[in-house]
Amino acid sequence: MRVVIAEDNVLLASGLELLLTSKGFEVAAVTGDGPAFLDAVDAHRPGVTIVDVRLPPSFRDEGIHAALAARRRHPGLPVLVLSQYVEREYARELLADPTGGIGYLLKDRVSRVGEFTDALHRVADGGTALDPEVVAQLLAGPRPEPVDRLTPRENEVLALMAEGHDNTTIAHRLVVTENAVHKHIGNIFAKLDLAPSDSGHRRVLAVLAYLNGRGDR
Amino acid sequence: MTGRRWWDGALRGTGYLLLGLGTAVVTLLALPLLVFPGMARGWADRHARRAGRLLGTAVSPPPGPLRDLGWLPVHILTGGAFGVAAVLGAGNVLLGAVATPLWWLFPADDPLRLLLVVPVTSWGAALALGPLHVLAFGILTCWLAPLLARAHARLCLGVLSRSALAQRVEVLTATRAGVLDSHGAELRRIERDLHDGTQARLVAIAMRLGVARESLTDDPELVARLLREAHEGAEDAMTELRDVIRTMYPPILADRGLSGAVTALAASAGAPTRVELGELGEIPAAVEAAAYFVAAEALTNVAKHARATSATVRLARVGGVLTVEITDDGIGGADATRGTGITGIRHRAAALDGAARISSPTGGPTTVTVELPCGS
Repeated sequence: MRVVIAEDNVLLASGLELLLTSKGFEVAAVTGDGPAFLDAVDAHRPGVTIVDVRLPPSFRDEGIHAALAARRRHPGLPVLVLSQYVEREYARELLADPTGGIGYLLKDRVSRVGEFTDALHRVADGGTALDPEVVAQLLAGPRPEPVDRLTPRENEVLALMAEGHDNTTIAHRLVVTENAVHKHIGNIFAKLDLAPSDSGHRRVLAVLAYLNGRGDR
Repeated sequence: MTGRRWWDGALRGTGYLLLGLGTAVVTLLALPLLVFPGMARGWADRHARRAGRLLGTAVSPPPGPLRDLGWLPVHILTGGAFGVAAVLGAGNVLLGAVATPLWWLFPADDPLRLLLVVPVTSWGAALALGPLHVLAFGILTCWLAPLLARAHARLCLGVLSRSALAQRVEVLTATRAGVLDSHGAELRRIERDLHDGTQARLVAIAMRLGVARESLTDDPELVARLLREAHEGAEDAMTELRDVIRTMYPPILADRGLSGAVTALAASAGAPTRVELGELGEIPAAVEAAAYFVAAEALTNVAKHARATSATVRLARVGGVLTVEITDDGIGGADATRGTGITGIRHRAAALDGAARISSPTGGPTTVTVELPCGS
């Protein structure tokens, strides 16, 4: 799979390139800022892109803007945003556009190579990969009262769902059967009064919109 | 001005001047003693405080013994002269009131004289001139006594107290020392966090990698364990480093500025929180960070103690002052002694020569207001 990277730090960029190449990805271009990234996406039509939040010239949130701009130009373009720290505000902005896969992970996660490439594939396939820390921030903030009615196990399932995992992975992570996960999810959607949805991107968005939405009021 | 305060001022002024006359005389008599270094200190201080009370101003500690010595002749001369004027004024009022009905007791060749020069030789003259005399000296005393008293007090303080500018310099020197102290403490904390945490972890990781490299061919199992431990250590180091950075200067502040950072803060606060933003302009980074931490600590307090259903953060800038105000509709009764939150907020404000006010009556609402000068 072809990958285009926007990362200005040479150390990190070469590390990513090494890792991805060793895992069978084809790194088509490594770019150092937003405009170069957009040009590389135009030229290479990558299957997935990786963008650092802080890019030149001001090293603020240029990466977020570049990611959103690339998706406006190529609707549905899968983007995985990497950052030295995570902020739920950025997750909200990235997830505001529901078409195409989106990932938002701490740079730390890259070192768990297997999990990182899983997340990358998930995003490439139109899924979601949200950092556990973002999900924790969402669950720790002001949240709708029904969330407090969830059992601890249902809370764990909710968090893994919000991270973007499918039922099989959730079952594997919690060491339970897929059937049990299915049942938990049914209960969660009933308690939160959400329409049950399939195990895809739409489900994640429903859960996140639910957690995010109430925080605004 | 009401009549009563006017009357009060006259009485206080007269009292001040009469006592001043007495102390001026005492000062003159004790002059041989008071000129010795340090002897005049307590005496001068009493007068400075008395002058401060009359003028209703705070008295700062005097600048040095030379000022005390300089004050001695000032007080002897002005205290004496003004005191004599007060004695003449008040004494004539008393004279008019007491002596007029007794004019006939005066010898015929040296009669009572009212209004200084007019001799009184009949009841008619006494009844006409007596009230006039009392009224004239009464008005004169009431008008002059407060003026003279204040003039004397200002002279005393002028000599004994430092100027407003000098006092401001002193406050700034103290707050700057406070800033340097807290800045130094902050640097030491960061150094300790990096030294004990991140640096120690990196050393441990490097040691494991070193051993793993040596054992690569002999003991694959050991190498696998060492690599796993090194990997976990690296992850812990990254987490710790992120925490240290967050407490130094929150990354969201660098990315989005104060408005964006506080908006993000409010979105993740425990109670639903509204943000009201004024026009902020350019704000120095240190002030931005202080304002951000003040808002963060206040919102943490709201979540922990207030039992509030909503909160509001207001950011406004008027001229060179940034105001941060956090209000909640909780139970009030915030207690600075209970947690470190309020103390922390006060310290952050004081460190930048700002001010913190906390209003939290039992039953609420609680309002924390912090004003920070932006240095322009």
